This record gives sequence, structure tokens and C-alpha cells, in this order.
Amino acid sequence: MSAPPRLFNEVLLSVENISLSFGGVKALTDISFDIMKGEIRAIIGPNGAGKSSMLNCINGFYHPQQGAITYKGVKRRRMRPHEAAEQGIARTFQNIALFRGMSTLDNIMTGRNLRMKTGLFWQALHLGPARREEIEHRRAVERIIDFLEIQHIRKVPVGQLPYGLQKRVELGRALAAEPELLLLDEPMAGMNLEEKQDMCRFVLDVNDEFGTTICLIEHDMGVVMDISDRVVVLDYGKKIGDGVPEVVKNDPAVIGAYLGVGH
Amino acid sequence: MGFFIEVLIGGLLAGVLYSLVALGFVLIFKASGVFNFAQGAMVLTAALALVRSLELFGQWKWPFWLALVSAFLFAAAIMAVVAWGAERLVLRKLVNQEGIILFMATIGMTFFIEGLAQTLFGADVYPLNLGLPKDPLFILESLFDGGILVNELDIWAAVIAGMLVAGLAVFFQRTRIGRALRAVADDHAAAQSVGIPLNQIWFIVWLVAGLVALVAGAVWGSKLGVQFSLSLLALKALPVLILGGFTSVPGAIIGGLIIGAGEKISEVFAGPLLKDLGAWLATNGATGLGTVLGDVGATLTGIEIWFAYVVALLFLLVRPQGLFGERIIERV
Repeated sequence: MSAPPRLFNEVLLSVENISLSFGGVKALTDISFDIMKGEIRAIIGPNGAGKSSMLNCINGFYHPQQGAITYKGVKRRRMRPHEAAEQGIARTFQNIALFRGMSTLDNIMTGRNLRMKTGLFWQALHLGPARREEIEHRRAVERIIDFLEIQHIRKVPVGQLPYGLQKRVELGRALAAEPELLLLDEPMAGMNLEEKQDMCRFVLDVNDEFGTTICLIEHDMGVVMDISDRVVVLDYGKKIGDGVPEVVKNDPAVIGAYLGVGH
Repeated sequence: MGFFIEVLIGGLLAGVLYSLVALGFVLIFKASGVFNFAQGAMVLTAALALVRSLELFGQWKWPFWLALVSAFLFAAAIMAVVAWGAERLVLRKLVNQEGIILFMATIGMTFFIEGLAQTLFGADVYPLNLGLPKDPLFILESLFDGGILVNELDIWAAVIAGMLVAGLAVFFQRTRIGRALRAVADDHAAAQSVGIPLNQIWFIVWLVAGLVALVAGAVWGSKLGVQFSLSLLALKALPVLILGGFTSVPGAIIGGLIIGAGEKISEVFAGPLLKDLGAWLATNGATGLGTVLGDVGATLTGIEIWFAYVVALLFLLVRPQGLFGERIIERV
């Protein structure tokens, strides 16, 4: 069952001594870890452990009070979310954040936003370079739609879709940006077994076919241990474990955090 | 028949002007989920900047066309400053807040902008002449006896509004910024995560709403003179929005036309009947109740003033999302 661990040798992103607090509440305390290029990295921990806060720091929604994040060799303290997107970080959200009024196609198309270059004038006229560009982007979007097997809901407003499919569309929008680093916040929460299996397959395929580095938060331990290369464990905003699944699984501190420490 | 059509056309043309004001609301609501109470104040500010600078350039003996173009550019620049200020000083601090909080903030902005604009540009009534023809015009004389009377200025207003709407439709539906605007309206966080800079989008949409306000202010101002009551147009836009739907550009247009035509037709044809009813109530009402009924009767006149609000009220009961608005279904 357990394959030999994959080897990676290039750090894509490293987090150094991050601390984040909201007023008096400490969300993260002195967290450090790294994400290697090409790996699937999981962040786990009980509710309220600071997992989503960590992800929000990485893509610039939150600005940590202390510490720094180095991404592709550039160290930074503050970055805004759209700047993170420009540098190749895409994400999905714990509570689905789709553009509910738009169709599946349009939602995924917004993911191409940063890759559109022609001027407003040509776009308005739908002529010349804008037309070629639109076709090219449509092609890219159709590839993603095929990949995620959502051809049948192409024109449906996403607000009307069931939960599992919405999650899939959200993944599609993130993929449309052709990210180097993909952040997934509980991609399988609230799904049934079949939907979870599909999603696992997509995550693995994205990583395999496009070489996208993936950092995901997930509660389903079976899934996490199956698909991730390395796992970070957070509890009460502190890092209590870090390593390959086999090691983390048997770490007494991790077991204690999940099951409570025996007295 | 000729008279009915005359009233109808007059009403539709007035409705176009309501649509212009309503359009400014719809744009901001679509792109930021904010009901911008300050739209009326923006109309007033734009019109004041336009009329006062036009006056000044006239005093400098600039040729009329140059003065007019410069005045429009100046007023547009003022609206850009307003848009920048709204984004920088108000909206940026309130990212991801509830719609009601943003709405309250725009009420505050209304008073500030009105006060500042009148301090800078003066608070009198200023006649505005854009060089548009204002002569009454008789059309279709061969078809109807005596022809149909329309105002040339109203026709020009309709033409300008039509061009504005066409331009906005293209901008929203076909450009990358248009798609980004719709994305921001749906979900702030998601829009940021796909690389849409929220601040920039908000500035653009407020600027566009400001330019729509400028056009509305110019047209209304040349009809009524530029004065404080222009800012109250916002109140007339409300029923238009309820009718058409808060999120629909075509809704704002159709809503304006229905309200405009409905007002005029009801005033001319139902007005006299209601007046008679009021008078009858006053004379024949039961003793004691007579004076009360008389008062009720008196309010029945002036249907033009309350017609729009009654229609809006009925719509809220039957179809709260308006004719073209998006139906909101909450999942629980």
C-alpha cells in the first residue's frame, strides 16, 4: 500500500517563524515549514488549529505580525491577494466562493483574468487580437472542463449546482490560472465517498500531469495519508508535527492532539 | 388618440431621465453590492461643477464649444476625485463588510458630498445651457389632427441616454474589466484570489457611476436648472429600481420608462376622476368624518407625485426582485 516516498530537491515556498494574532487571540505562533516544488503538502489539525489562517497568510489575505514567507526565492512580509495571484498562487475556499450569478464557463474564465492582455478597445469590438485571444482562452477553459468532467454543466449558473459540483468548478477556476502553487482549503469537506474519490483523483492528476505544487487542508485522515507527500500538523496555532505520513501518523503528540492525552 | 400618444411620449421621455439616475445606482450595486445612497449627491455635484465652470469659461470669452468641452472634462475630473475619495477613504476600510454597513457609509457620504459641493460651487439655482435645442416640436401632423407635441430637448436626452446604455452594455458584457466587475459583485474574496485588484475595480465602477451622474446632471440641469433638488432625484430612482430590479441595466431603463409613462398617463387621465372623488367625499361624507374624508380626498390629487411609490409598493408585495432582477434563493 505505502509507496516509497517521492524525492524533491527544490524549495518553492518556505514559511519562517510566522506569528499572527487578531487582537488578543493568537491564531498562529512561530510557525515554520516549507513546501517543495512538485509535492503535495497537507496541513492538518483539529478545528481552530489555524490551518485556514496559515493558508490566508500564504496568499496574502492576512498579514502576519512576525516572520516572513519566501516564495520562489523572494522574501516578503506583506503581499496583497491579487499580487499573490499574479505570482502564480491560486486557491479554493473552505466555504465555496464562486461567482454565483455566472455560469460554470464564465466562472472558470475569470480564472484566466490575469492572462488576458489585449486592450479594452479591441475587447469591446470583439475584433482582431481580442478575438484570437478569447478563442485561445476558451480553448484552455474547455480543456479544464474536460479534465474535471463537467461538460454537462458548462452553461448552468453555479448557484444552482449541487455542493460537490460547485467544489469542482472552484477547483477549475483555480486551475485556469495555470498556477505553480495551488492552495486547497478542505476540498473534500461535506462530500460523499464517491465525490471524495473523484476529487482525490483530480488532485493527484493535477499534480502528476501539470506538475503543480499543491498545499491542502483536509480533515479526512484516510485521504490525507493516502495522497500527500508530507504533512504539517497544527494545534492551537502551534506546529506539533511535520513529516511524511508514516511518521506523523505514529507521532504521540499528534495522536494526543486528535484523541486527547491519556491520563 | 393623438392626445393619449402625446401624453405617453411625454411620459416616456421623462422616464428616460429617471432611467439615467437609476442606472448609476445599478452600476455600483452590481459591482460592489452597495446601494449607493450618494448617487443623487453625485448628480448634484457633477451638475454644479459643470454649470459653474461653464459660466467661468464663458466669462473668459472662450468660444462656446471649447468652454463646453472643457467644462465637461472639468466635471468628469471632479467625479474622478469623488470616486477616488470614496474608494480610498471609505470602501477600502470596509472590505468584506455587510452590505448594510456599506449602505450606511454612503448615507454619510451623501451629506458630506452635498455640503462640500455647495460650498465649493455655490448653492443657488443656475440655469444650464448646453446649446441643445429646446423648441417644442409638432410631429405626425398628417396622422393626427394638430399633430403631437414633443419637446426637442427631451428627444436629445433620450438619444444621449440610449448611446450611454449601449456603451455600458458593451463595456460590461464584452471586456475583461466588465467580467471582473461582475466577479467582484459576486464575491470579494474569490475575486481577489483570481487576481482581480478590488481597489482598482471599485475606483473604476465609481468613476463610471460618476460619469453617468454627470450625464444625468447635465440633462436634468438643462431642463430644470441646476439646483439642490437634483439630489432628490435619487428618491425618484428608488421606485424605478424596485420595478426594474437592482441588478439589471435593461431593468433600470424599462423601469424608468414605465414609471415615467405611468405617472403622466395617470395624472392626465385618472387625476381628474380622483379629484372629483375627493370633492365628493368632502361634501357627502358622513358628519364628523366629513373633514377627515375631505383630507383624504385632497391627497388623492397630485397622483404624479405618489404614483411611482405605490407601484413600487405593489411590486415589493408581488415580485420583490423586480422585473429583471436576480431571484435570490437562500439555502439553509
